[in-house]
Amino acid sequence: MAKHETPLLDQLESGPWPSFVSDIKQEAENRAKNANNVEFQVKQDVCEDILGVLELSYKHGRTHWKHGGIVGVFGYGGGVIGRYCDQPEMFPGVAHFHTIRVNQPAGKFYNTEWLRNLCDLWEFRGSGITNMHGSTGDIVFLGTVTEQLEEIFFELTHKHGQDLGGSGSNLRTPSDCIGEARCEYACYDTQALCHFLTNEYQDELHRPAFPYKFKFKFDGCPNCCVASIARSDMSFIGTWRDDIQVDQEAVAAYVGGEFPPNAGAHKDGNWGPFDIQKEVIDLCPTDCMKYEDGKLEINNKECTRCMHCINVMPRALKKGKETGLSILVGAKAPILDGAQMGSLLVPFVKVEEPYEEITEVIEAIWDWWMEEGKNRERLGELIKRQGFQAMLDAVGIDPVPQHVKEPRSNPYIFWKEDEVPGGWQRDVNEFRKYHQR
Amino acid sequence: MAFVSSGYNPEKPMENRITDIGPKHYEQFYPPVIKANKGKWAYHEVLQAGVLKHVAESGDEVYTVRCGGARLMSVTHIREICEIADKHCDGYVRWTTRNNIEFMVDAEAKVKPLIDDLESRKFAGGSYKFPVGGTGAGITNIVHTQGWIHCHTPATDASGPVKAAMDVLFDDFKSMRLPAHLRVSLACCLNMCGAVHCSDIAILGYHRKPPMLDHEYLDKMCEIPLAVAACPTAAIRPTKVEIGDKKLNSVAVKQERCMFCGNCYTMCPSMPLADTEGDGIVIMAGGKVSNRISYPKFSKVVVAFLPNEVPRWESTTDCIKNMVEAYAAGANKYERFGEWAERIGWERFFDVTGLEFTHHLIDDFRDPAYYTWRQTSQFKF
Amino acid sequence: MDEAAARDIIVEKLKGKKGKSKFYLKDFYAFFPEEKPRTVKKLVNTMVSEGTLEYWSSGSTTLIGLKGVGKQAHAEDED
Repeated sequence: MAKHETPLLDQLESGPWPSFVSDIKQEAENRAKNANNVEFQVKQDVCEDILGVLELSYKHGRTHWKHGGIVGVFGYGGGVIGRYCDQPEMFPGVAHFHTIRVNQPAGKFYNTEWLRNLCDLWEFRGSGITNMHGSTGDIVFLGTVTEQLEEIFFELTHKHGQDLGGSGSNLRTPSDCIGEARCEYACYDTQALCHFLTNEYQDELHRPAFPYKFKFKFDGCPNCCVASIARSDMSFIGTWRDDIQVDQEAVAAYVGGEFPPNAGAHKDGNWGPFDIQKEVIDLCPTDCMKYEDGKLEINNKECTRCMHCINVMPRALKKGKETGLSILVGAKAPILDGAQMGSLLVPFVKVEEPYEEITEVIEAIWDWWMEEGKNRERLGELIKRQGFQAMLDAVGIDPVPQHVKEPRSNPYIFWKEDEVPGGWQRDVNEFRKYHQR
Repeated sequence: MAFVSSGYNPEKPMENRITDIGPKHYEQFYPPVIKANKGKWAYHEVLQAGVLKHVAESGDEVYTVRCGGARLMSVTHIREICEIADKHCDGYVRWTTRNNIEFMVDAEAKVKPLIDDLESRKFAGGSYKFPVGGTGAGITNIVHTQGWIHCHTPATDASGPVKAAMDVLFDDFKSMRLPAHLRVSLACCLNMCGAVHCSDIAILGYHRKPPMLDHEYLDKMCEIPLAVAACPTAAIRPTKVEIGDKKLNSVAVKQERCMFCGNCYTMCPSMPLADTEGDGIVIMAGGKVSNRISYPKFSKVVVAFLPNEVPRWESTTDCIKNMVEAYAAGANKYERFGEWAERIGWERFFDVTGLEFTHHLIDDFRDPAYYTWRQTSQFKF
Repeated sequence: MDEAAARDIIVEKLKGKKGKSKFYLKDFYAFFPEEKPRTVKKLVNTMVSEGTLEYWSSGSTTLIGLKGVGKQAHAEDED
């Protein structure tokens, strides 16, 4: 017999998609049975209370959580988020229900031994409910009491060699795409760079350093599977600057219908036979390809590396050999002044250890933002407020046409005095010799 | 329930303290076939919805079976994932950015037993535990935020609407019939922890009532300067109010300036804004993050408000299903949702989807608004 | 910068602010206009690890104040 009746949530158990309600119920049952005799450090019926308070939210159409401020592990400004239930008497199991962000490994690969260790820890010292994974990328432990925070951190660091992720005005937990681990499109090792920078900037990740949050994300190619261009203050997108490699025989195999176009991703649609002219050549955004006499030609100088042709014919076309990444800055969600995409700052940089060319840019940007940014002002908002030119100046990067989609359409240039021959100090009397008052 | 110490000494927090060690190194978690062929993959193919084959230059192959799942996951469920990974995949597993679980095997013969095993597992309530799908020109898992399960400012639930939407979109999770892939995301308030602003279809929780003021307690619970500073539109100012015969310090809210973000409630629990009728869902559409063919795009608001209909959010799921079908019927091969809407024109979009165009859909928020109005004589009737 | 003196200045300044116990990092920079933000940040974080200051997090933003001072410390049942 369940502790709380949940008639509304029960209706989310049917249907084919995995039901989180069923899952929490099975956790509740397993905790009640406690087959492994775990000495639970939070209430044994915590999952019943999660369901109870969620059912109440369904009944009211309103949340029953309050925010909490001073929780965290000693010396860290992020990684823990305080949470309290606003009906603690009804749901004592979740009266305190803090979140812990655990920094996921790059690429989100796991072995089962390590996952089980995390499960054991979280069953013992928390609710047993997680997010795999949170929006930023962390493993999220959902719900424990204040007294357990240091205990969990101690076990994570001492037993499992594992640290917390970021929250607050810190560097947030960086995240990456699968990259070279299992993708032929990847132009650099996203996992290596993500892991390196995560470790390089541990202080910024754990202790407040900035006016607001700051995110890094790493996409191996312009397909942007981790959405770095939309979601990170600094976005690292793999690219190349030489020619797309073409295997003409494989092109012919696509044309001949031997290989499925778009790597088979359209298999269940009725699209008819593959038409290279219509599906590749005509869709090229720069019109830099042609297919004549059974031969595919690419005018690589005009290519903007949108990935479409490569995505459609991955066995025939491959990224160039001279690979690296582009750095874009300032992406953020809409609040407050509207959403922003990342803007191109560094068109191309090689990705080579110890990544100095990259860390130099990062630190120059941070210095500028720490100096100039207002409280709670994201990097993108500072760039808007002070201007792209001001950022280039601050980080010492020369302007190139690649920085803009088009030049400005107003002539209101704020010339600086030292840009104008002779400066601004003039003698009005000299002027008057030739111009009457 | 006796307290069990980890070894941590609260009297001396710095004693033996380990900090700043970062995450585990990714390499120890690579399956052997991944480790051996990293950076040397030749090509891939989607064999069927949910099944990928990657071939390395060495000739090695890795077969990936992708399955969906609720990102809200119990340790019991994770242990079951571990059991499957041990049984079929030598103890390795990974998650994708969109909350899918990927099981990898190194031979084709191992694929079918793995799929059969995954598809046979169901929760007691009847839903699949590990539905295989989420690849190619279909709809993959929804990325989302916490909602009523754990957040203090949500205007809707997250896990519930996601479950309801994926039930409705399930066939497109299991197949690849669409013109291109279609990404659905959910954020439970306008702060958008879920960054839904570049999704093909976005479900966004939205409050419509300014905070209430618990004057009697406000000065006891909150630091007024912080509540004032928290407001992004400077709608809050300190004031004095008379309650009975007492004059209390409190705040006043300029209600017409409120954008319903809840930042004040974060700083000050005496300013709650959640409301049964006020809160609900905004539907946005046409965004993307890929640079493929066209530039990345923001999603646009196509439905200003839908109520929170617990437990299955029928108006929201109907609206999404309707948009998906209109897109499936009208878009060209490879055309993303937003590219389709732009090609046919947004006026035609409202036509073919039957969605009502209301004044709320015309941008009036700050500078970027102007750039969304029509500055041409070209339009469709 | 003279670290000992800087610590005193920080404690002094924070005590002097009536009705407000939590501050943005930026507020600390303003106490030391001659110093680089990075230097001030390091000192503030050190003072947290020594137990003089403490962090307060809204989840999205982090504020800093004198340890144990402020209203929510009590209101939230955390003392």
